[in-house]
Amino acid sequence: MTRVPVIETPAIETRQLSIQFGGHIAVNCLDLKVAPHCLKSIIGPNGAGKTTLFNLISGQYTPTSGNILFNGRDITRMGVADRTRLGIGRSFQLTNIFPSLTVLENVRLALQAKENVGMVFWRHYKAYPKLSEHAYELLKQVMLADKHRFMASLLTHGEQRKLEIAILLALDPDVLLLDEPTAGMSLEDVPAILDIIQGIKETKTRTILLVEHKFDMIMALSDSIAVLQEGRVICDDTPDAVSNNEKVLEAYLGGGVTHA
Amino acid sequence: MKTDTLKFQTRNRPFQQYAGWIIGIGLFLLPLIQMDLTTYLTLTVAGISLGMLIFLIASGLTLIFGLMDVLNLAHAAFFAFGAYAGFTVLNLLNNAGWIDTASLAQSLFYLALALGAAGLAGGGLGILTEKIVIKRVYGNHLMQLLVTVGVSFVIVELLKMIWGVNDEVVPVPMGFQDAFIIFGVFIEYFRVVAIFLGITIFAILQYILKQTKLGIIVRAGVENQEIVKATGYNISWIFTLVFAAGSALAAIGGTMMAIFNQAVDPGMGNQFLIFALIVVIIGGLGSVTGSFVGAVIVGLSFNYVAFLWPKMALGVNFMIMAIILLIRPKGLFGKD
Amino acid sequence: MDIKELTSLETSGKKTIQELTIAGIIFVFFIIPWIIPSFRVMDVLAKIMIFTIAVASFDLLLGYTGILSFAHGMFFGIGAYSIALILYHSDTPSGYHIFLAAGASIAISVVISLMISFFSLRVKAIFFAMLTLALAEFAHILGVQWSDLTGGADGISFTLPGIFNFGQTLGTLFNTQINGRLMVYYFILVIAVFLFTGMLRFIHSPLGRVLKAIRENEQRTIALGYKTFRYQTCSIVFSACIASLSGILFAMWLCYVNPDSVFHTAIMVNILLMVLIGGMGTLYGSLIGAGFFIVTENWLPGLLKSIAGLASDSVILANMADRWQLYFGILFVLVVIFFPKGVIGTFRVILDRRHQLHSS
Ligand SMILES: Nc1ncnc2c1ncn2[C@@H]1O[C@H](COP(=O)(O)OP(=O)(O)OP(=O)(O)O)[C@@H](O)[C@H]1O
Ligand SMILES: [Mg+2]
Repeated sequence: MTRVPVIETPAIETRQLSIQFGGHIAVNCLDLKVAPHCLKSIIGPNGAGKTTLFNLISGQYTPTSGNILFNGRDITRMGVADRTRLGIGRSFQLTNIFPSLTVLENVRLALQAKENVGMVFWRHYKAYPKLSEHAYELLKQVMLADKHRFMASLLTHGEQRKLEIAILLALDPDVLLLDEPTAGMSLEDVPAILDIIQGIKETKTRTILLVEHKFDMIMALSDSIAVLQEGRVICDDTPDAVSNNEKVLEAYLGGGVTHA
Repeated sequence: MKTDTLKFQTRNRPFQQYAGWIIGIGLFLLPLIQMDLTTYLTLTVAGISLGMLIFLIASGLTLIFGLMDVLNLAHAAFFAFGAYAGFTVLNLLNNAGWIDTASLAQSLFYLALALGAAGLAGGGLGILTEKIVIKRVYGNHLMQLLVTVGVSFVIVELLKMIWGVNDEVVPVPMGFQDAFIIFGVFIEYFRVVAIFLGITIFAILQYILKQTKLGIIVRAGVENQEIVKATGYNISWIFTLVFAAGSALAAIGGTMMAIFNQAVDPGMGNQFLIFALIVVIIGGLGSVTGSFVGAVIVGLSFNYVAFLWPKMALGVNFMIMAIILLIRPKGLFGKD
Repeated sequence: MDIKELTSLETSGKKTIQELTIAGIIFVFFIIPWIIPSFRVMDVLAKIMIFTIAVASFDLLLGYTGILSFAHGMFFGIGAYSIALILYHSDTPSGYHIFLAAGASIAISVVISLMISFFSLRVKAIFFAMLTLALAEFAHILGVQWSDLTGGADGISFTLPGIFNFGQTLGTLFNTQINGRLMVYYFILVIAVFLFTGMLRFIHSPLGRVLKAIRENEQRTIALGYKTFRYQTCSIVFSACIASLSGILFAMWLCYVNPDSVFHTAIMVNILLMVLIGGMGTLYGSLIGAGFFIVTENWLPGLLKSIAGLASDSVILANMADRWQLYFGILFVLVVIFFPKGVIGTFRVILDRRHQLHSS
C-alpha cells in the first residue's frame, strides 16, 4: 500500500467534526486532512454526508462540535463571506446562480467580489471593463461565451452547471469544493469540465475537493479518495487502494447503490 | 428541510431566565418610589386592564401569524371595523332607551350583544378578505404585507363611507359606569370585565393551540397543502376560519376599546396598531404567551409613565421594545 | 466578439432612445409653466417631481434591495420638518438655510437609518416591517405631541428666502410672471434631475449590482464573498437621505408642514402604491407611478363629484364620490395581486422575451 505522504500543513483539516440535525448525526467525529495542491475525492452513498461536509467547510453550516482548519488556521467560527475571501470557493450540488441576471453578470459579480470593488457606488460598473473581459474569457473556458447575454434562467440545466463552474473559477480560490460538478450534464459536455478540473490540478497551485458519483472519472483524476458512510470516513487512501478495499465495496453494496 | 442555516441550539440557562423574571418584576415595583400605594394599585389595575385590551388586539395578529405565517397589516382596520360594529349595536340599544337604566347584569348582556355582533361582523369580513385576497398570497411575505396594507386602506375608506369621518361618542351601558372599592382602590366594573375577557381568551387560545390538533394541521398545511388535503382535512377552509377567528378577535378588541374610550373614529385602528405591534415584537412573533406578557408589560408601563410624565408614555414603550430587542432579538417568547 | 461590444453589454440602440426620452421629459417639465400658465398644473407637476424622487428612493430599498421599510415616509417628514423648523426659527431666512436644512436632515437620516439597519441585521424581514411600521407611527405621534418643537397638529408655516419668496415678482417674460414660486419650481426640477441621476448611478454602480444580486439570491451573494449586511446598510442609508431631501422639496413647495401631511402612514401607503404602479425595481417606474397617482388624486375627486352630481339627491352616490381614496385602495390590491411587476416591469418582461427570441 502506498500512502500519500502528508508532510506540509494540510490545506483543509477537520478535527472531530460533527453536526447534528435534530436527532440525526449527519457528520460524525470526522477527521480529514487534505494535502495542499492535491485533488481529493469524496465518495459515498446518497445521504452519506458529503454535501453536509462541504457546507461545514464553506461555512453554510456551523458544526455542533469539532474544528475546521484552513492552512493550519482555525476557521470554525468564521462566516461564509469571510471564508470565500480567504480562498475557499465552492460550487453547489443544486445549481445556485442568479437566475434573472445575465450569464456574464453572474460571473462578473464573482470577479467584482474578488477585486473588492463592490462598495464603489460613485462609478458606473462598466468603468471596470477588465472585469467584463475577464468574465467573458472564463465563459469561453466553459463554452458559454456565445450565451453571455442570456438570462441565466434560460440556460439548460447542463449549461447552468457550467456557469456554476465559471463563477467558481472567477473567485480564483485556493481551495475548490466541487459538489458533483458534472451531475445532470449532457455526456458531450463532461470531458470539457474534466479538462478544466485536470487543468487546475496540473497547475499544482490549488487544492481541490471533489464529490462525484462517476467512478471512472474519480479514479482518473484523484490523488486520494476518502470514502464517507453515515457521516464517517471509512477509508482514506490512494485510488488503487480504495478500489480494492473490502469495507468500501461492502458499503456500496450494503448501501444498495450501484454505480457504473 | 429548506433552511440553509442552522443555528446553535440554545442551551437551557435556568438561572438567567429566573433573573429576567426577577428583574422584570422589580422594575414594575419601581414606580412605588414616586407614588403612594393606593395610586400605585389603582394604576396597576388600570394598567392590567389596558394590557388585556391590547392583548385582545394583539392576539388575533399573533394567531394569524403564528399559525398561518401571514402578517396581517389590515388587522388595525378589522379592529376599527369591529369598534364600529359594536358601536352600532350600542347605539341601537341606546336609541331604544335601554342603556341609561341598565343594571350590571343587563349591561353585561348588552356588552355580550355588542361583542357578538362585532365578532360576527369581523369574522365575516375576515372570511371575505381571506377568500378574495389573502389566499392568493400565501407563502410570499412581501406580497402579504403589501396586499394587507391595501386591504386596510379599503376597509378604512369603507368605514368612512358608511359611518362618516367624524368621531362618534359611544354610549356606555350604565352598569359599567359604576365602580367598587377594595383597600381604598377604586376599580371600575368595566376594567374587571376587560381583565376577565382577556384571561378567558388567552386560556381558550392556549387550549386550542396546545391541546387540539388544529395547530399541527394548520402548520402542516403551511408547509404542504397537498399532503394535508390528502389526509382528508379541508385545509383551505381551515385557513379561512383561522383568519376569520383572528379578525373576529380584532373586532372584539375594537368594541372593547370603543367602550373603554367611549369614542370611535375611523383612524382609531392605527393608534392602537402601534400598541399591538410593540406587544407582538416584545413578546415574540407568533407566541400567544408572548403577546399576553407583552401586553401586560405595555399596559402597565404605559399607565405608570403616563401618570408620572404624561408625554413620555409612548416613548417608554418604544424604549422597552428597543431594549428587549437588543437583549433578545426574537422577543421574549419568540422561537426562531 | 470584440471588447467594445462587450463593455456596452446590455444594448446600445436602446440607450440612445432612453436618453432622448429622458431629455424629452425634462424638457416638458421645463416648458409647461410657460405654455399652460395655470397654478394647478404647475402644482401637479411639482408634486410629480417631488414624489418621483421619494418613490424612486423607496424603490431603491424595496425593488433593488428587497427591504420593506415602513419608516421610509418618516425620512420624508424629517426632511420637511428640518427646513420648516430652520426657516421658521431664523429671523432673516437666507439661501444658506436651505443647505443647512439639507445637511441637518441628511445627518439625522444617516443616524436613524443606521440604527434601523442595525436592527434589521438582527431580525427577520417580516419583523423588520413591523418594527419600522411601529417607528413610523411613533414619528407621527411625536410630531403631534411634541408641540413645543413641531407646532403640534397645527403644523408650521414659513417663508422662503430670497428669490424663492412667493410674494416676490421678478418680472415677466413671454407673458409669464417670474415669481418666487416659479423659481422654486425650477429649483425642484434641477434638484430632482440631480437626485434621480444620482440614484441611476447608484444602481448602476458595482454596489448597485451587488444589491441586485442580494435580491436575487442572498445566500449565493454571501458565498461569493460579499458581506451582504454592509451593502444593505448602504442602501438603507442612501435611500433615507434621498427621501429626506425630497421631503425638503415638498416643504419648500407648500411652505407649510404638519404631521398629517408628512408623517402620516397614508403617505407611506401612497408611496407604496406609486412604486407598485410603476413597478418595483425599475426606478423609471417611479415617474409613471407618481405621475399617475398625483394626476388622479387631483382630478378624480372632481370627476366623481360631477358624476354624482348627475343624480343630485343620492346620498350614497355622493358618499361614494367623496371617498375617492377607496378606489386607490382597491387599485392597490388589484395591482399587487394581478400586476405585481407594475407598468415598467411588465413592459420589460415583454421586451426581454422579444430580445431572447431574437438572439436565440
Ligand atoms: N439542513 C438539514 N437539515 C436536516 N437534515 C439535513 C440537512 N442537511 C442534510 N441533512 C441530512 O444529512 C444527511 C446527509 O446529507 P447530504 O446532503 O450531506 O448527503 P450527500 O452525501 O451529499 O448525498 P447525495 O449523494 O445524495 O448528495 C441526509 O440524511 C440529510 O437528510
Ligand atoms: Mg450531496
